[in-house]
Amino acid sequence: MLEARNLTISYNERVAVSDVTLTLAPGEITALIGPNGAGKSTLLRTLNGQVRPTSGAVLLDGQSIEKYTRRTIGRRIAVVAQEAELRFPVTVLEFVLGGRFAWASNSGWGWETERDLRIAAEVLNETELNELSERLMNELSGGERQRAVLARALATEASLLLLDEPTANLDLSHQATLLALVRNRCDRRQASSLVITHDLNLAAQFADRILLMKNGKAVRSGKPDEVLTPELLHEVFDVEVLVDAHPVSGAPRVTPVRRS
Amino acid sequence: MTVALSDQTNVIAMRRGRVTLRKTLISCAVLAGALLLALVLLSLVGSEPLPARASLCSLLSFGSTSCGLTQDQFDILFQIRWPRLLLAAAVGGSLATAGASYQALLRNPLAEPYLLGISNGAAVGTMVALVFFGSNEWSRPLLAFAGSLIATLAVYRLARGRAGASPERLILAGVIVTTFLSSVIVFVTTMMDATRIRSFTFWLLGDLSGTSKALLPVTITIAIAGTIALTLNARSLNLLMLGERDAFDLGVEVGRVRIIVFVVASLLVGSSVAASGSVGYVGLVVPHLARLSLGSDNRINIPSAALGGALFVIVADTIARTIIAPRELPVGAITALIGAPLFIYLLKRA
Amino acid sequence: MLPRILLTHAVRALAFALLLAGAFACVSHTREQPDGPVTRTLTDDVGRSVSLPARVTRVISLAPNLTEIVFAVGGGDRLVGNTSYCDYPPEAKSIAKVGDTRTPSLERIIALRPQVVLISTSSQLETFTQQLQSQNIAVFVTDPHDLEGVFRSIDLIGQILGQKEQAASLVKTLRERTAAVEQAVQQSPRVRVFYQVSAEPLYTAGHDAFVTDLMRRAGAESVTANVPGAWPKYSSESALAAKPEAIILPTGGSMGPGNSTVAEALNRSPAALAGRIYKINDDHLARPGPRAVDGLEEMARALHPEAFKQ
Repeated sequence: MLEARNLTISYNERVAVSDVTLTLAPGEITALIGPNGAGKSTLLRTLNGQVRPTSGAVLLDGQSIEKYTRRTIGRRIAVVAQEAELRFPVTVLEFVLGGRFAWASNSGWGWETERDLRIAAEVLNETELNELSERLMNELSGGERQRAVLARALATEASLLLLDEPTANLDLSHQATLLALVRNRCDRRQASSLVITHDLNLAAQFADRILLMKNGKAVRSGKPDEVLTPELLHEVFDVEVLVDAHPVSGAPRVTPVRRS
Repeated sequence: MTVALSDQTNVIAMRRGRVTLRKTLISCAVLAGALLLALVLLSLVGSEPLPARASLCSLLSFGSTSCGLTQDQFDILFQIRWPRLLLAAAVGGSLATAGASYQALLRNPLAEPYLLGISNGAAVGTMVALVFFGSNEWSRPLLAFAGSLIATLAVYRLARGRAGASPERLILAGVIVTTFLSSVIVFVTTMMDATRIRSFTFWLLGDLSGTSKALLPVTITIAIAGTIALTLNARSLNLLMLGERDAFDLGVEVGRVRIIVFVVASLLVGSSVAASGSVGYVGLVVPHLARLSLGSDNRINIPSAALGGALFVIVADTIARTIIAPRELPVGAITALIGAPLFIYLLKRA
Repeated sequence: MLPRILLTHAVRALAFALLLAGAFACVSHTREQPDGPVTRTLTDDVGRSVSLPARVTRVISLAPNLTEIVFAVGGGDRLVGNTSYCDYPPEAKSIAKVGDTRTPSLERIIALRPQVVLISTSSQLETFTQQLQSQNIAVFVTDPHDLEGVFRSIDLIGQILGQKEQAASLVKTLRERTAAVEQAVQQSPRVRVFYQVSAEPLYTAGHDAFVTDLMRRAGAESVTANVPGAWPKYSSESALAAKPEAIILPTGGSMGPGNSTVAEALNRSPAALAGRIYKINDDHLARPGPRAVDGLEEMARALHPEAFKQ
């Protein structure tokens, strides 16, 4: 279980995150939403120990995250971010096996075990990439590549998934596929995940909880229908919205309204 | 970049599939065999013809019998050609290993000790050693190491923008460091006497003829130990190659690996520059060809590049010492002749 | 009415133009004809016809051998500038320095108002020459490659400085000394010599080097006499295989005390085994000037001591 207690992160004068408290519960997806510059990514980077908070603490199973080695954290927390630089030719399988690094017995050396290969095969299957496992990452489409990045995160067997805009640049069907995979992991393995997204409707559909942030502060945290209200969204995004229920799922549906 | 690598696909398709310990051992064994064969064969070539059969016979006895070689021929074989070939192999292995690890660490296929100005840093160190501590042979590799480490850190800091280091930015930083250090070199030459300046300008282009017997074992030891040290970090480098943050997230101790690579690669560059001047492009050409034929996995790429680099430089140096015999060219001229066009090709595709 | 911003801009542009013009004025200001009209022409070593004033009173030399020649023909008092390498005769050291042979300072040369600049290399100084000529300063190239060339240089510089007789008598003496050496070593067998310019990397004297001619005259045969170029980098194994009977180390002159040990590859050469390693002042061997004959005598005496026993 991952907890953030009264996190404040400031760079020089600027406060990026201010007094945020949050718990990622097993089996739950928490969506982190808010306008650009709200401190969402900084918060996510703090949760896996990359950014040190100015005050407050991140607790992994009740212990400060700073007490863990990188390797242990790598086994417990997986991050999906928009980074993967592909200047070198790497196959999908090699890429996904990267997720097994933290499980190697030897730090910088060593070879993948049978178990590593089996897990890689499983996640490739899960993400429907098994047919592409021999292809080079550069040859994949955007959606396939994003699935491979997720597959690598799943291959770590981490029970905590932190996803920073995993659906950006993806079309509708790929967005749904990707989040369904995350949902699946949370349901079947009691994993917990935090997803930063700009798509409020997607958040409403997949998240168990939503944390709404503005200017580094947590404005509201709760179930989707508690957070996605016209008043709160107006306050945070400064835009008039209409919120009604999704005809099929019943989740809140947010539609921006033109001010007349 | 997405499209750029697709024409390598055919080559890579042949070897696709995961790199395993077995594949690594096989490829290293093949390369080591080729290196050994090349060492033996190339030691039969030179500006002075030697009787091939007798030379082979003497080589196979490790110099214990002359097999009918005259004293002069024996000396040429064992006192001149072998030390030079061994130095060439050590220098080539060092530079290719350093290049391969810089490329992985900096996520840039164009990173190369010579192009980044790191060799020039080592050259400045060597010059300072020559001018101020001329009598002490050990001061050369030591100060060369210090010089290349400082140049490495300078390039790294310069290349790191807010958005990380793009390949172009890194090359620009390399140009800045190279030109700055070149002017430092010009300054230091004014403190040297005239005979030294002449030998030094030749040496700056990379020259293996001045093989110092005292430093040869040091250069070879550093080449082997450095390659092993970097290979032992190859799995971390595999992840670093795909992004520093991603590597960190996946459990790599990025800071520690970075320091190891900087220090060990500087040691490799420093010891080879102190022994032979700035032999350029080895660190670019060799790892690139290794990636093309064996894949990007550093566990196979780094040791293969080391052996391949040794092979590359002994061939280049044999060309340099025989093509206009009995005169000689600097080996750096030959490696640049092969490397510069490849660099332009890579730059166009990057 | 111009808008104010444009006006300021115009003023700035004007100021810039004035600055540029001022800079050019300094450069393009042409010196008036020095000391009378052109009255004679001489052909230099690269075949250029050089126009010279009748009486030359101000000369700059851009090479140490040319400085030595100027002094030797009695024109030292007219030398107003030379290079930092010019250290002989001792008086040459106190003459204004204009930089070194490769990178002389054009400004300083012009400021010294010479009539003639003597240079020894034609290739690198093409633009340099043009600029001097536009200032009505004659540029005279003399680049001797052998002893005959040195004699010709002495003769030419003598003519330039109006010291024809002194030059002629100097050449005569030098020719006699040369002939005496050649006479003395005529009976002796030629010695196969390796001329080591530097040990690491190994440089030697090739076909075009001045000293190769000197060695021939001194009763030696350079083992690298047929290697193309003047100062080639040489293969260690070829040096070893050449088995020289003697090794000459040019050292101890203005190039410093370096090059005083034999290259490793030559450690077991017949020359090294017999102890026939001779250090000779490099200024006598590498400078194609009057002292080259000293070098010739020193080499001949070292290589053929028997020929000089009285």
